[in-house]
Amino acid sequence: MIGALPLAAIPPEDEALRPEIRDFLRETVPVIPPERRARSWMGFDADFSRKLAERGWLGLTFPKEYGGAGRGPFARYVLAEELLASGAPVSAHWIADRQSGPLIHRFGTEEQRRFYLPRICRAEAFFCIGMSEPNTGSDLASVTTRAVRDRDGWRLNGAKIWTTNAHRSHYMIALVRTSGTPQDRHKGLSQVIVDLKAPGVRISPIRDLAGDAHFSEVVFEDVVLPADALIGEESSGWMQVNAELAFERSGPERVLSSAVLLDTWAQWLREAGAHQAAETLLGRLIAHLAVLRAMSIAVTSRLVEGESPVVEAALVKDLGTEFEQLIPTVIADILASPGQVAPGPLMRTLAYTTAMAPSFSLRGGTREILRGMIARGMGLR
Amino acid sequence: MDGLLFRSAEELFTRHATPEAVRAIRAGGPASALWGEIEASGFLEALVPEEAGGAGIGPPEILPVLLAAGRFALPLPIAETMLARAALVATGETPPEGAIALAEPAGEHMARLAPGQPADWVLLPQGETALLLPWDKAEPDTDASSALADLLRWPAGTGRSLACPDLLAAGAWAEVAIMAGAMERILEDTVRHARDRQQFGRPIAAFQAIQQQISVLTEDVFASRMAAQLASVPDGKGIAGLNPTRIATAKLRVGEAAVRVCAIAHAVHGAMGITEELDLHLLTARLQVGRMRFGGEAHWAHWLGRQFLAGDLTETLAFVRAHLGPVAPEATA
Repeated sequence: MIGALPLAAIPPEDEALRPEIRDFLRETVPVIPPERRARSWMGFDADFSRKLAERGWLGLTFPKEYGGAGRGPFARYVLAEELLASGAPVSAHWIADRQSGPLIHRFGTEEQRRFYLPRICRAEAFFCIGMSEPNTGSDLASVTTRAVRDRDGWRLNGAKIWTTNAHRSHYMIALVRTSGTPQDRHKGLSQVIVDLKAPGVRISPIRDLAGDAHFSEVVFEDVVLPADALIGEESSGWMQVNAELAFERSGPERVLSSAVLLDTWAQWLREAGAHQAAETLLGRLIAHLAVLRAMSIAVTSRLVEGESPVVEAALVKDLGTEFEQLIPTVIADILASPGQVAPGPLMRTLAYTTAMAPSFSLRGGTREILRGMIARGMGLR
Repeated sequence: MDGLLFRSAEELFTRHATPEAVRAIRAGGPASALWGEIEASGFLEALVPEEAGGAGIGPPEILPVLLAAGRFALPLPIAETMLARAALVATGETPPEGAIALAEPAGEHMARLAPGQPADWVLLPQGETALLLPWDKAEPDTDASSALADLLRWPAGTGRSLACPDLLAAGAWAEVAIMAGAMERILEDTVRHARDRQQFGRPIAAFQAIQQQISVLTEDVFASRMAAQLASVPDGKGIAGLNPTRIATAKLRVGEAAVRVCAIAHAVHGAMGITEELDLHLLTARLQVGRMRFGGEAHWAHWLGRQFLAGDLTETLAFVRAHLGPVAPEATA
């Protein structure tokens, strides 16, 4: 059985960051139409990421000696909430700031920290994460991309697919096999940093169903990696990958992916008037948001205290993405009243969110995988 | 939080609110022995201020006791009596001895109450006031009553009118707490059953179809517990600081959860779960009753939606931060 989640609050010193962030966003984001803001953390704008970097808002949780702000996870939580709620285009730096940077800080060598972390903080190093392969999806331990020892370094062969932002990132942290065979499962997997400009790296963007190209296939043909491409311990890749996931799974990005649609619709109700069914629906969505946010903050608080609430994080992600998917479903229903004409920007925001909503419960671990984790936490398997 | 109160409540109910005792009271048997034990525990004075002779603790601190009551499907108005006593003391009244049920108005001198949950008094809201009515003077309206609600009627002129606002939201808070507790016990029982029950030569817990369903059940139970905690933050103007915006949120979220929790728990228990013998129905029936008391999902969703649209905050997250944020218990103590 898993323990209860006590109510936890964002510390006041981290809340204190919010007004400045909101002021900045009020000046920079509303000019972007809602159907573009609806892209949420899939909206890529390197210039915007650099503007955030100038404010000191990239690498908030990295130590100051590496260019960060030395703040705790709740500072980043406040920043992430405001960025996502406003629909700021944060995709360029998102993965480096959330995942790759903390991974390098935790498992990397001093040289790796000194090289990569300041670049991430300056929005000069964007990262992608190479996990899935053409024949490896949810069964991540079956990866076949292989790095073999070659003189002082490594030689990399294989392919990654569905890699978000691969075609517009500087580096990939790839989960690869450094020993054994796919039958060895978790053993023999390692994480390597690949400079995506290296010879032998071929990146082909894949168009998504909304017309964007946010993910790619990446093929490695005899890519030569230096010795220090290895991050952390050889054969510790599986453990390191899992250590990344609790923060990734319980954060505001698992609750707020449809926030732009929700707020755009609510604003239209304010202007055009709301009937009882719309008021009721809005109240229902606000209630879900409030409870999910409290759960997400409670899990973050446990993480801050050094615990590893992996199952609780899975609960938040599964419920949160269900909420994110509920928003376009029910708003479409309520906007489908005969004779009612909703404004174009609202309809385009709905169209985009509706089309992409299935991805919310795929990225970062599918719904079925998460529920399997919860079942294990409950002692069912 | 408050492990001590929770443990002493669990001990009390384990000893005195056995499934047999619960069934007997639900069937109309005497409740005085169990009520006497609860009265002796002092829990019922929890929300009455210390200067008025109470324990002076707040909703977040007493919540674990109510969760425990829900876990045992306690067929007595423990949360309602706590709230009624606090409300009466706040208006300068001396609460009458015994159990006080909170009722919903159901017409002239008519009250709608939880079935199978006897009390000595009924507090019936009448707008900004409430009528304090003796239970033993009531006549049941058997035609209008059901397993989901008992309807009682009093002769005109019965009872005393008291100033007593906020009872509907307070009643909804009591239901939220009891229901969240009942759901926790349902989850534990369902997990145990899935591990014990063998089919196709293995425990049904070994099947992914069952695992996925119980995972959904787990999510709803955790969300409901969180909703109950959010609803207990005493930053409002109601009885004991209760805040109707928080209660609206929790009542609708817990009501939604109750539907899925009942469906999944019964699905996993199969035909056994439909029997009188198994305790499961004591808990699921309590959820079905609670879902319909003091406003259902649609009622509170509509109330909350209007609240948002009538306010100045145009972003949903900003509204949630301002009115529905988590406040750690130590910050309010």
